[in-house]
Amino acid sequence: MTSYFDEHNCQPLESGEEPNHLLDLARLLLDSGIGAQFQLEFERIFGNVDGRKQPPAAKHIIENLPLINYFNNDEKCSICLKEFQLNLTTELPCHHKYCKICIIEWLKLVNSCPMCRIEFETDDKDYEEYKKQKQRLKQRQVELDDLHNSMFS
Amino acid sequence: MNIAMNRIMKEFKEVVANESNGIELHMPEGELTRNPSNSSSNKKEIYLSGSLLGPPDTPYAGARFHVDIIVVDTYPFNPPKVRFTTKIWHPNISSVTGAICLDILKDQWAAAMTIRTVLLSLQALLATPEPDDPQDAVVANQYKKDRKLFEKTARHWANVYANGPTPEPECDAAVKSLAEMGFDEEKARAALSSMHWNTSDALESLCKA
Repeated sequence: MTSYFDEHNCQPLESGEEPNHLLDLARLLLDSGIGAQFQLEFERIFGNVDGRKQPPAAKHIIENLPLINYFNNDEKCSICLKEFQLNLTTELPCHHKYCKICIIEWLKLVNSCPMCRIEFETDDKDYEEYKKQKQRLKQRQVELDDLHNSMFS
Repeated sequence: MNIAMNRIMKEFKEVVANESNGIELHMPEGELTRNPSNSSSNKKEIYLSGSLLGPPDTPYAGARFHVDIIVVDTYPFNPPKVRFTTKIWHPNISSVTGAICLDILKDQWAAAMTIRTVLLSLQALLATPEPDDPQDAVVANQYKKDRKLFEKTARHWANVYANGPTPEPECDAAVKSLAEMGFDEEKARAALSSMHWNTSDALESLCKA
């Protein structure tokens, strides 16, 4: 059986040691995803001031881009505007094609397709939590609207 | 030659071939690249200029607005820096510096965009201001509170600074009366525009400055 301390990822206090309440509070807030909630609340009140900056795409996505050789001769990479070359071209899950080196440089900055802006997974836990909260908020709004419509129509 | 320069060369052909939308892109005369003035690094920036025709059915219709475009070394992975050099009265453009508040020039930039799509987006911005995300708070306030007065002011600025076809005689007369008192015409126009064309309020703000 795992001990209480293992389960909560903390250590028993040494004799004479005081618990660090501030640290506990910080841990509690982080675990509950309240940081992301604050961000959303801030956006609701003040508007999306300069937007949350999108983080880079997850490493495993960048490392596992496939090489593809199905493209037309006149198709061009929309980043460098050059025609595609054999064994240097890749395709994102949204089926937009780019030179592999071009899209790698972009995905190291931003986690979305430059053509359709579909977002890919990131390694930024904070951002993933923010995305989830945003999704939940949207879902709640849809449910509220449904409820409202079912009552008043 | 780096990717930024390569792409700009290709983009030039694209804009020159597509001039039907009233947008223009120009190469500067002489040196194409310069080192940024505030750094000693050897990163080159490309200096271009462009212009766009004000969209129809707006106070900017028929007027031509010029912009400075600085293409950074890391283009197209980072957006170009764009600023209006023609004075303009618009909620999302500073009436003083010409700085632009537009998401695609900041965090919504995508590497597949081009200078051409930027110029077209600016044209669209002239047609549909976003007063809730203002660059110039004074203009945005006027836009929200008194749309007629905003349109009159914007039309007057377009006529005076951008060869717009429609003069606003009342505005011209008010500016002239302050200029005759010895105030700089441009400053008088800015003060009148900010003070809803109330001459005594404008006079007060000019004297305070």
